[in-house]
Amino acid sequence: MSAQALQGIRIVDLSMGWAGPLCARQMADLGADVIKVESCERFDWWRSWEATPEWIEDDGAEKSAAFNMVNRNKRAITLDLEDETGRDLLLQLVSTAHAVVENYSGGVLPKLRLTYDHLRAAQPNIILLSMPPFGSTGPWAEFRAYGSTVEQSSGLPHLNGLDADPPTMHHVAYGDPMGGLNGGAALLTALYHQTSSGEGQFVDLSQVESLFSLAAHGIMTYSATGQAPARTGNVHATSAPHGVYRCAGEEQWLLLQIFDETQWDALCSQAPVLTKFGASTDRLARRDELDAALNTWCANQDAFELMERLQGQGIPAVATHNTISLLSDRHLEYRGYWQWLDRAVVGRQPNPSTPYRFGAQPIAIQSPAPTLGQHNDEVLSDVLGLDEQAIERLRSNGIIGEKPRMPGTRPPRSASS
Amino acid sequence: MAVTEGHGYTSRMGGALHDITVVDLAGNIATSYCAKMFADYGAQVVNVEPTEGFSTRQLAPFTAGGESAMHAYLHTNKKSVSGYSANDLQDLLDDASLILGDAQTPTFDHDAIFTRVTWYGSSGPYAHYVGSDAQCFALNAMLPNIGHVAGPPLIPTGYQAQIVAGKNAYVASLTQLLGRKLGNTTSAIDIEVSTFESMLCLTEVGVIGAYNTGLTPTRMGINRFPPTYPLGVFPCQDGWLGLTVLTPGQWHAFCDLLDMPDFKHVDLFQTAVGRLEAVDVIEPVIRERLLTRKAEALFYAGQQARIPLARVPTMAELFQVDQFQQRQAFGEARLSDGTTLAVPSVPFRLFATPPNFGGPVAALGEHTAEFVG
Repeated sequence: MSAQALQGIRIVDLSMGWAGPLCARQMADLGADVIKVESCERFDWWRSWEATPEWIEDDGAEKSAAFNMVNRNKRAITLDLEDETGRDLLLQLVSTAHAVVENYSGGVLPKLRLTYDHLRAAQPNIILLSMPPFGSTGPWAEFRAYGSTVEQSSGLPHLNGLDADPPTMHHVAYGDPMGGLNGGAALLTALYHQTSSGEGQFVDLSQVESLFSLAAHGIMTYSATGQAPARTGNVHATSAPHGVYRCAGEEQWLLLQIFDETQWDALCSQAPVLTKFGASTDRLARRDELDAALNTWCANQDAFELMERLQGQGIPAVATHNTISLLSDRHLEYRGYWQWLDRAVVGRQPNPSTPYRFGAQPIAIQSPAPTLGQHNDEVLSDVLGLDEQAIERLRSNGIIGEKPRMPGTRPPRSASS
Repeated sequence: MAVTEGHGYTSRMGGALHDITVVDLAGNIATSYCAKMFADYGAQVVNVEPTEGFSTRQLAPFTAGGESAMHAYLHTNKKSVSGYSANDLQDLLDDASLILGDAQTPTFDHDAIFTRVTWYGSSGPYAHYVGSDAQCFALNAMLPNIGHVAGPPLIPTGYQAQIVAGKNAYVASLTQLLGRKLGNTTSAIDIEVSTFESMLCLTEVGVIGAYNTGLTPTRMGINRFPPTYPLGVFPCQDGWLGLTVLTPGQWHAFCDLLDMPDFKHVDLFQTAVGRLEAVDVIEPVIRERLLTRKAEALFYAGQQARIPLARVPTMAELFQVDQFQQRQAFGEARLSDGTTLAVPSVPFRLFATPPNFGGPVAALGEHTAEFVG
């Protein structure tokens, strides 16, 4: 079955937040056995920045939609990595794995004695993918960043918006999903080499450099001409009309881009009021007047009806979605893009499919995101060969668990552990 | 550093993907970028170009010699074949591990992995829509939040959606090539990549958040994105500084950095949402303080204080950043007329099997004799 192309590959996922877990999610979606490792006190911060007794009691750790979205198809265990037993168990798990993914801040893995050298001692052919914001080398290797910082650092804001405005961001923590996507590519490249040669290696991903490809049009303009592109907003140097036009209803917009005369003629057939504008040079010269005419023409029309009508005539135009309407987009609905799964604590939830498919249907999501430590017994017994009593001892000593704990509240160790 | 010493690049012949041959039949930005990732790691990539060349050869900007700089970026370390017969093409396809195409590429028999990148996929109401990069931002719900409150929303520039689709094409294609090597898959496989769906990875978190809360963000102006404040790009004495201040600890350190003791312990200002409510009080003071300071110094001082501040380099400054220089973040594309151009390197580095940093760009049909006849 092609969706299970990565069957037999095991990934230990030490990552947190968006970028790292998204990287590992791609492997899980494609059939790899991804085992996510958290601890009861140092759980994935996408569950929450911090714990309170009320939040723990209310199962808050299981209610983060963002966490649940990027951790599907994985198994989850908890291990206290600051405890020698927990650390040893992690290294045992690594000895069964092909790769480890991490995105801790610089200094955390050395402090835990879990550097690449430590992992390689447990599994000589292991791959370690490290994905810090600025990469693992260079003077900024330990600098901190969120997805927004990554976008700011990439230069991309200097390519968007208008010259009169500050460099303009897209945000949505742009660096995170792009880091995750590139992380998947990096891991697959190393896994391919490992499968060919038996050799593992350290893989270093810079999240900031991941955005350079998206800024390539600006970077290459400077590289070729010594000048950065002008920031002209929706104005296109050689095409008109080219813009976003207000339609009927609140915040309803139509994006329209006319790139050739065939498209222009088709548009005029739908909007005869535009026939007073001539060929491309005339339209470019009268751009403001043209935009005003289009705003008037769109003002009382439904954006999605207009999109359908114009696209039916080969005119590149679409309506805009917001994050609520996107969930009911008819195209995505037809393609089965949103897959609905029941998840403990939060119930039925939508899950996005992969953007690629190996047949007519999207790759089926096998399981929703695991709860904290959901697979402790399964992994510790089936993968690491621990018996029931040993697992129970780990649980009573607080090395594993299925609920978050307030910091510094691990139970005292029993004498037998 | 997060890694221990001893992980310098180990130079060797070939790359991680040296036994893969990719044939690109489409030559659009998405397939070109996908193939570029293969070429960066040592795969043999053959561009099968029409007599007028791939469409990427017509992309602005152009060098003084009239060559497309975007084409140079997308096509380092590839071979170019043009002027071939049907038999020649069949031979090329027979030898390919991976074939890349688009919506116009005809269906054909093959034993390889065939990846087709389209704007909206091959099924569904939008399957035949005329697509664009900007459309993907409109339909993925990002566009409405970029721009001034009064509107209209501002269109992001460049070829971002096609590049993201190219990355996804690489992931999907390499997965299947790896699956073959692992013995998990054996038959010919057709892969479909949707550019629109590729861009949904940017907003899927927002969609699921909206499903659970019933709330969708509204456009609040340039660089203002709820619920975080301060977040954005602000002017300093000598350039631009990127701010993202989220946690109480970061806020306290930021107040110290900008000498704003009166704001440090105000209850409302302890959360990002509270600060956003008080933006009219806070922002004038932040702007005034930043304009008296140098961005470079604030960046280093902020990072030292564990605040994730950013330099926001212009295109000119980007090439001068020491972090990027030391990491070879830019390589050199060598055009057939002798021109060289700085191009972004692959963003991930395999230490035992390093990538190509830049490389030659083939002239149209430069390698035809090698493959044809």
